[in-house]
Amino acid sequence: MRIAFVLGEIGSGLRRNVSMVVSVILVTFVSLTFVGAAGMLQLQINQMKGYWYDKVQVAIFLCSDGSTAAGCATGPVTPEQQDNLQTLLESPAVAQYVNDFQFESKEDAYKHFKEQFSNSPIVDSVTPDQLPSSFRINMKDPEKYQIISETFSSQPGVETVIDQRQLLERLFSAMNAASLVAVSIAGVMIICAILLIATTIRLSAFSRRRETGIMRLVGASKIVIQLPFILEGVIAAVIGAALASGTLWAVAHFFLGEYLSKQYPDTAFISPGQTLILAPALLILGGSLAGISSLLTLRRYLKV
Amino acid sequence: MPVRRLQIWAVSALPCRVIRAMIRFENVTKVYDQTARPALDDVSLEIDRGEFAFLVGASGSGKSTFLRLVLKEDRASSGAVYVAGQNVAKISSWRVPRLRRGIGVVFQDFRLLPQKSVFANVAFAMQVIGKSRSVIRDTVPEVLKTVGLEGKENRLPHELSGGEQQRVAIARAVVNRPGILLADEPTGNLDPTTSMGIMGVLDKINQNGTTVVMATHDDDIVNEMRKRVVELRNGIVIRDEAKALYTSMIPVVGQSRRLRDASGRDESQPPASGERNPGVGEEQR
Repeated sequence: MRIAFVLGEIGSGLRRNVSMVVSVILVTFVSLTFVGAAGMLQLQINQMKGYWYDKVQVAIFLCSDGSTAAGCATGPVTPEQQDNLQTLLESPAVAQYVNDFQFESKEDAYKHFKEQFSNSPIVDSVTPDQLPSSFRINMKDPEKYQIISETFSSQPGVETVIDQRQLLERLFSAMNAASLVAVSIAGVMIICAILLIATTIRLSAFSRRRETGIMRLVGASKIVIQLPFILEGVIAAVIGAALASGTLWAVAHFFLGEYLSKQYPDTAFISPGQTLILAPALLILGGSLAGISSLLTLRRYLKV
Repeated sequence: MPVRRLQIWAVSALPCRVIRAMIRFENVTKVYDQTARPALDDVSLEIDRGEFAFLVGASGSGKSTFLRLVLKEDRASSGAVYVAGQNVAKISSWRVPRLRRGIGVVFQDFRLLPQKSVFANVAFAMQVIGKSRSVIRDTVPEVLKTVGLEGKENRLPHELSGGEQQRVAIARAVVNRPGILLADEPTGNLDPTTSMGIMGVLDKINQNGTTVVMATHDDDIVNEMRKRVVELRNGIVIRDEAKALYTSMIPVVGQSRRLRDASGRDESQPPASGERNPGVGEEQR
């Protein structure tokens, strides 16, 4: 009975306040879309980092079938060449700069490739043979990349030595800056949303002061009196958060999935499904923001 | 039988040890503004269970403050207020609703919800404290019968006369069977005949065992009822008499007016509206 009563109160409150409720929905929608955009950029950065990025700095790619580099004149890398390279890596001259290194076979490379490009059509046209095997080196000091590069580039069986970080770091810093901008805009919008929710709840409490006055007098508990107002704000904010989640999904599906991934087939993009992990966070964020701001407002404007 | 049930409730809802005083003020002072005189000044007073007491006095004499303190709408500046044996200052804020469930309140301006029917207005008081639909369906018609509103369940407040609206308000105040009924100028907006009808309802409720405290300016009613009268002036109790009249100072005025109204032939002037209305704004919360 009490639940039915509270629900009825929420319904009448939302109906009475339609224009304010719509504005709360829109403001939370926009602000949480920005929050979500920042989250999506971070997801995208993680996606592009792939398997090795956080573990190693330098990759020594070995010759494979189609290699055209000078060191690959003799064809694909032979087991002896590979052993020689490993010995060289373990020799004191090189080992002093190296924390750790791992060998990635063609099969491993294929596995990691499949993971990273799972959302991209390119994954179907690649076979393990096309991917080079490699040594992945974790440097004691990433700045000493040049030493490794000079030592190994000319070795037989080495196609190329790449400092992966240098390739990606510029892009990542741009993306980080973008997500910072998104977060700041989101911050301002969230302040807007909080103030708007507070105003809405205040109006709502004012327009129903007769009812709440009577409820107080006949001894309704604080929860029964306040809950309809709080839930009113929370429901509006959660609708806004749901719209924001939907928008993020649409961006991932239509913009990243249908458009960008065709423009840049060699880049790993996040899938629309991945953006859905942001949805619960947005819903909780929206709901709790609304809940807290309505609660604080009621404490001032609705005597219980 | 609503009468029987009301009595049973009034007894069973109280703590085991018998408390005679339903409302007790011990040296209560209430100061709203440090620079002004207190609204209540060292008031000590007891109102017993089942008693009917009038609280009279000019506007600003402290009647409404008295009622607010009983409801714990305000906190006494000093002294202690006991309601049903409980010191209200010691009731934690989340238990205040429970205190208020034991107290019904009626106002001069009725305070009905305009968009709800008579039944829904009374049922509202039960809904918000979580009474089940079936209990509400059984109880509300009974209470409406007690206040004399049978057959008007589906009317809206604006379709009722002032007296009927006040009856709805009384029904709402007593539907949860409180031990105390506080009435703040309940007849302030009503003509003398209608007022007497309302007094009949309050008297009936009082006879069912509910303690009734009524703040009023209506001398005719006080004189007619011959109940206990507590007179306040500037926050001080200046008179506390059983079976008293509105004023013991100039009995002639009260008497003559009473006779006039009782004869029902006084058409020359509206009853004391000139006196009452200036106080209305101040008394309302």
